[in-house]
Amino acid sequence: MQDAKQPALQGAVRLIFEYDGNAVRLVMQQPVDVAVTGFDVHPDVRPGHYVEIRDAAGTALSRVPVRSAFTGSTEVFPEDHSEPITRVDTSGQPEAFTVVVPAPAASASIAVVRIAPPAPTAKKPEAGVTSPVPAEPVVTDLASFPIERVK
Amino acid sequence: MTTADGSVIGTTQIFGSAPANHAFNVVLLAEGFTTAQQPAFDIACATFLTAFRATPPYDELSPAINVFRVNVSSTDAGADDPTSTGGTGATPRTYFDATFGANGIRRLLVCNNTTALTVAAAHVPQFTVVLVVVNSTVYGGSGGGIGTYSLAGGATEIAIHEMGHTAYGLADEYPYYAGGAETGHDHHPATEPTEPNVTANSNRTTLKWGWAVAAATAIPTLSNPNCSTVDSRPSPVPVGTVSLFEGAHYFHCGAYRPEYDCKMRNLGVPFCHVCRQVIWNRIEPLSTLPARDRTPISVVARYPEHLDVFTVAANGRTMSDWWDQSSGWAGWFQVSGGIASPGGHGSPVTSIARYSGHLDLFTVGTDNRVYSCWWDRSSGWSNWFALGGITAAAGSTVNVVCRYTDHLDLFTTASDGKAMSTWWDARSGWASWFQVSGGVAAAGATVTAIARYPFHLDLFTVGTDNRIYSCWWDDRSGWAGWFQVGSLVARPDSTVTVVARYPDHLDLFTTASDGKIMSTWWDARSGWAGWFQVSGGVASHGSPVTAISRYSNHLDLFVVGTNNRIYSTWWHDTTGWAGWFNVSGGIAKPGSEVAAISRVTEHIDVFVVGSDGIVNSTWWDGSGGWAGWFQLGIT
Repeated sequence: MQDAKQPALQGAVRLIFEYDGNAVRLVMQQPVDVAVTGFDVHPDVRPGHYVEIRDAAGTALSRVPVRSAFTGSTEVFPEDHSEPITRVDTSGQPEAFTVVVPAPAASASIAVVRIAPPAPTAKKPEAGVTSPVPAEPVVTDLASFPIERVK
Repeated sequence: MTTADGSVIGTTQIFGSAPANHAFNVVLLAEGFTTAQQPAFDIACATFLTAFRATPPYDELSPAINVFRVNVSSTDAGADDPTSTGGTGATPRTYFDATFGANGIRRLLVCNNTTALTVAAAHVPQFTVVLVVVNSTVYGGSGGGIGTYSLAGGATEIAIHEMGHTAYGLADEYPYYAGGAETGHDHHPATEPTEPNVTANSNRTTLKWGWAVAAATAIPTLSNPNCSTVDSRPSPVPVGTVSLFEGAHYFHCGAYRPEYDCKMRNLGVPFCHVCRQVIWNRIEPLSTLPARDRTPISVVARYPEHLDVFTVAANGRTMSDWWDQSSGWAGWFQVSGGIASPGGHGSPVTSIARYSGHLDLFTVGTDNRVYSCWWDRSSGWSNWFALGGITAAAGSTVNVVCRYTDHLDLFTTASDGKAMSTWWDARSGWASWFQVSGGVAAAGATVTAIARYPFHLDLFTVGTDNRIYSCWWDDRSGWAGWFQVGSLVARPDSTVTVVARYPDHLDLFTTASDGKIMSTWWDARSGWAGWFQVSGGVASHGSPVTAISRYSNHLDLFVVGTNNRIYSTWWHDTTGWAGWFNVSGGIAKPGSEVAAISRVTEHIDVFVVGSDGIVNSTWWDGSGGWAGWFQLGIT
């Protein structure tokens, strides 16, 4: 082909977080020129931890999954590979993770979000009660931070 | 023991040449290596690289992978090794503060993850995963936000396993938490795990890796008879069989893994088929797509700000990429593990959107059966499933028409050339295949269809005498017989393209036996016109004519010419046919098809397999004219 050129990248930002339990601290935010793949972004809301970029009204503009964090445990690997890999609980040790998330021009804040599965035994709310409806995932903001404007 | 105990020397790319902003970038950080010991770190990185590249599917993904090493010198060599966990008691001053003995377990080797991530971001801003290589021959490692491993033999396996978690969200497939003797891990919770390689679902039709399970394979293949312990029986099926094996995700029962063994279950074994697919689908979107040269590309606009593109990779994988105005191109991924028939020009993936939150896909598989799958906004991708027992012509096209939202009509050619059809209706499901009015198509010809009204279909194909034939179906009268459209002698494998600019009018396009680009039309008031050559155009051997109608009085045509350049022309009712022009200098594979779509009336998106064998795209906009070609991948 001739005249081949790739369209300009959308803006993205790398975020590095440190956490201890549910206490989350944003260590670094860095604009990056990185393609963020979208094939595995599920259309439905699935349990897990996510980082969201939100606009000034609090509407999520983009969301990426957080992997290998908030597990409360770590793996122990056997020197003899025929032996089992095991896990041990961890506590009181700060951990860290990073994500790269699309950051459109309207980005205003960053949120670390936990989506918990619905409680299977939850009772239906009484009429007029505003508690979460059963089968709705429980979404909790663990922390939020202002985004640094890209110059 | 802080970053004051050393310094970053520099960064070297040791593998790959992909643009860093479109690559899977692995960063190796030196820990506990003094300045004089940096050559040992370099050797350790080379050792990792050899192991990494030899691990399927990474061995096939090299074009999208870069590996960097960041040489960091520490004041002292090694890592902390507390005596309380059987270590030497060493407390060297190192940059990332690595230590054995975390959680009271000597081989649990950890370091300051925050420092490691920060250093990686500073020196390779586009990094994907970070691995810290610790200068010690004591076996150890750990995972989490980064991977940490030592120089002991086999420890690179820790790094590759941990990348499975960090980069792809793969679950652990081992069926225990602490080796099998623990309590509270007999039965997995009923909730379906979100990870792609473990499941609590034993229903074949909804199994998330159902695409990889052979129809003859019983599921579950292995069920644990005693949930109080781990099922340690050997596999009853050959290595590589994908099914359901009970015991996964830290539980003895109630959770299943795809294969008997996998690197996400044990070190020293390959990734299972499902995990390989997940890794592939994470990295391949960063690449452009080498496609089958002559297999048509299908494109759907579910709504004006969104495109879904479907094609077949050079290796037969059924691939998709999507564009959204808000996020750009997502990158190529394989749709539900599908492989399309390689016969003829190769079976394409055809697609249709019955409504904005739903896609239906069709292709002919390697067994020459017709397959379908769907995507729904609420549930994602389904598995491919066979439609009836028809044996299609190898490489044939399945054309689909949606007369109304809850109905689909399918058309293809059987192995004996018969023009075949079936339909799906939301109320009754799939009907059986039937031959349409006794029609038989020429070898390689397709059956094209259009619905001018919800109660009417028009079909077109090239018959065994290489003449153009048509027939119709009407809700009031059923199927009519096939009749010849004029006397044109077409190329035997040519496609008849049809456009309805308005319900009582059809425009047909095809290629004559000498390659001339020919057209005719039908109008309810005047019937069929004669065939005529469109602006003197001649197509590359086998290249079909693509036509779209942006207005009721306007047509845009695309074709690959005899010099393999990509050409377009247009017809407007007030000016007639324009001359053919080369679109932005584009050159395509000989005989390939140009896909075009108009999301909005003053915009055209065009897709083609370029002369480079890669799927390329360009667009025309009423305000800016034609853009340059670009290789389609990820934005």
